Amino acid sequence: MSGGAPSLLIVDDEARILAALRRCLRREGYDILTADSPLEAMRIMAERAVDMILSDQKMPGMSGMELLSEAARRCPGAVRILITGWTEAVPRDELEALGVKALIPKPWDDGELKLTLRRLLAEGP
Amino acid sequence: MDSAPPIVRIAVLQPLEGLAASGAADTLAALGRIGAEVEFDVADTADACLRSGSREGVDLVVLDRCASHVSESVLQGLGDEGPPVVVVIDSDQAEAVALDAFRAGAADCVRIGRDYAEVMPVVALEQIRRWRQLRERTTARRRIAWLERLHDAMISEIPVSLMVLDGAGRVALVNPEFTRAFGASVEQVTGARFEQVFPTDFIESGGLRDLISRGQSSVQGAARLARHRAASGEPRIFDVRCRRLDEQGHVLLVLSDVSESEILAKRLLDLERYNENIIQSINSALLVVDTEGCITFVNPTAGEILAAEGGKLIGRQVGDWFDGHAEEGSLIARTLKEGVRFKGAETMITLDDGSVLPIGISCTPLLDDERQLRGAVAIFQDLSEIKQLQRQVLQTEKLASIGQLAAGVAHEINNPMGFIHANLYQMSEYLQDLQGYWEGAERLQTTVAAADWAAAQRACESLSRLAEEIDIDFVRGDFGKAVRESQEGSERIRHIVQDLKDFSHQDTAERMLADINQCVDSTASIVWTMMKHSVVLEKEYQDLPQIRCYPMQLKQVFMNLLVNAYQAVEERLGESCETGETGTIRIVTARVDGGVAISISDSGVGIAQDSLARIFDPFFTTKDVGVGTGLGLSTSYGIVQRHGGTMRVESEVGKGSTFEVWLPEGTQPAEVMRS
Repeated sequence: MSGGAPSLLIVDDEARILAALRRCLRREGYDILTADSPLEAMRIMAERAVDMILSDQKMPGMSGMELLSEAARRCPGAVRILITGWTEAVPRDELEALGVKALIPKPWDDGELKLTLRRLLAEGP
Repeated sequence: MDSAPPIVRIAVLQPLEGLAASGAADTLAALGRIGAEVEFDVADTADACLRSGSREGVDLVVLDRCASHVSESVLQGLGDEGPPVVVVIDSDQAEAVALDAFRAGAADCVRIGRDYAEVMPVVALEQIRRWRQLRERTTARRRIAWLERLHDAMISEIPVSLMVLDGAGRVALVNPEFTRAFGASVEQVTGARFEQVFPTDFIESGGLRDLISRGQSSVQGAARLARHRAASGEPRIFDVRCRRLDEQGHVLLVLSDVSESEILAKRLLDLERYNENIIQSINSALLVVDTEGCITFVNPTAGEILAAEGGKLIGRQVGDWFDGHAEEGSLIARTLKEGVRFKGAETMITLDDGSVLPIGISCTPLLDDERQLRGAVAIFQDLSEIKQLQRQVLQTEKLASIGQLAAGVAHEINNPMGFIHANLYQMSEYLQDLQGYWEGAERLQTTVAAADWAAAQRACESLSRLAEEIDIDFVRGDFGKAVRESQEGSERIRHIVQDLKDFSHQDTAERMLADINQCVDSTASIVWTMMKHSVVLEKEYQDLPQIRCYPMQLKQVFMNLLVNAYQAVEERLGESCETGETGTIRIVTARVDGGVAISISDSGVGIAQDSLARIFDPFFTTKDVGVGTGLGLSTSYGIVQRHGGTMRVESEVGKGSTFEVWLPEGTQPAEVMRS
């Protein structure tokens, strides 16, 4: 968080989800970056550091978990959060081992999501 | 001479030397007067005369004035058994020659003289009469002797026991077969009463006392069956016939051993009863029709299933139930028409009350000894319960498939749900912001209407501030976007739910025409939701004819195959270290061999050889507990079989698998055999 607005990278292969999340967090004061594929997310991370990553789990080519574990290497300062429509399919122990801070279900509650992101950003990675 | 026979055959010897031609004529003329038609056989040597005299039917031999030694040689040659010989003697040497002739065996001698023409016919006729009498007696004696021999031979050789009883019921005679059959010697039984000869159980079982006493008093024969147990323990059964022989009350008992045929008849009866029992008690219905399709036999089960009105089945047309469910005619009709056999086919029947019943049926032509068609035998079973069970299993399988789909489906539904939910939240925020803006706008309107320009100025400024605060330009653009995106999301959810609903739908009882490409494709689109991230789906559909089938069941088959393919691909990808890799599932449909073939290939892990053999077995699974029911492929196999189709699998570990389903275009019974 090098001055200015904290940066938030949202990754989802579903454009409508990206739009809805952007809408939701529009006035939260984040510098919102979106990627519609894990590959795009990797490119962004290669170009710049981000403060927080919110990634979908089920994506073509690479799962959200894989992406977040990559992110831990490439962008260690980032708070990592997973969002998924099938929370039951995500093994919690692996999640913890990877240092993922939260698992957000789809559909999510906007107000709660805002609070969670604020809290986690304050806590740091 | 009225007793003379119509034709008399006379052999005459008239040596040429020493006999005047006129004399020879005298003898023949004299013999010609015996009052019957005479056939002469005139010889001029002793040998020739002997030959003709020895012929059958010669009544008399006449030796006409022969030398003594000639006469003697003929007489000797003919011997005692030959026909009578009359010797004609010249008057000169009468006495001595006549005596020699008598000595040599002549029957009579006639001397040529004035009365020759009268004497000769009388002598000849007398000799012929005597000879004929003798011949008749001999024949009769021979006949009697022959009959006696025949009688003896029959009595001793006939394989039937014979016994003659006198009027007092004592044994007068038994034949060898009797002694053999009843194990008693002739000496033992002769003179004994029949009660002492036959075993008591034999007499009683046959009612022999009554039979014999009736035989003694009546010429009419009577027969009974009598049985006893032989020393060996074997039951012996005799057919006993009794017939009176004479006024003294002698009766003949004829006892034929019928044990073998009785035992065979009993066995046959047992077998018939056995068959009858089976036919009556089997769970399957059995019916027989003649060549006209007219029912000639039904067992009780068939009666129950067909449930004819008024209970009358025999004589009705089998088509009343079986027709109208196949374009080619019922299987029974086809068996009668084409002589083919059907085994394990499935079809429908219509009952008298109009309800339709699924049945499994086997049908065989009924042929006689000349292999001519005499009708058909059909064995069938009510399949309603089995069908019900099948539907339940299918439904269970379907639910299991849906369970396997749940992850994909949840993801697919929760994504649109996610943004719809978020959008609604956001839209309500927009609405709240806009509420303030609208209030400001109303205020502006009121101040302008009141021409309070200072207040209007303030209201206008505050409205501008508010517009900036809520970013009204953005909201104006985004509100509509959020609405459209949400609408689209809800449409997506509706679609998925509809697909699932379609898939979990049950089939109708009757087959219906369906487009197999559409069946495969709609199923693929459901499975696609869960596999789109890891699988490239290739489709190659050829134009196919519509198939009469149970579409939902076929969709279930395709679903099983696609889910398996997907899981095989996932497993392969899980093993692989490379990320970002995808697998391939390829669906190809084509017209093949008078049917349609649907092949589903995957680039998954493949199936090990030992599993391949058991892959269609029920409850066989290589999947983890809770992942597969082990029924998917066996259910699929059953479905394809019921459609008269086939299912094959080819697989190589590490390369992938191909499942091919083939379905016939026409509704084919499971198995047809030309007989």
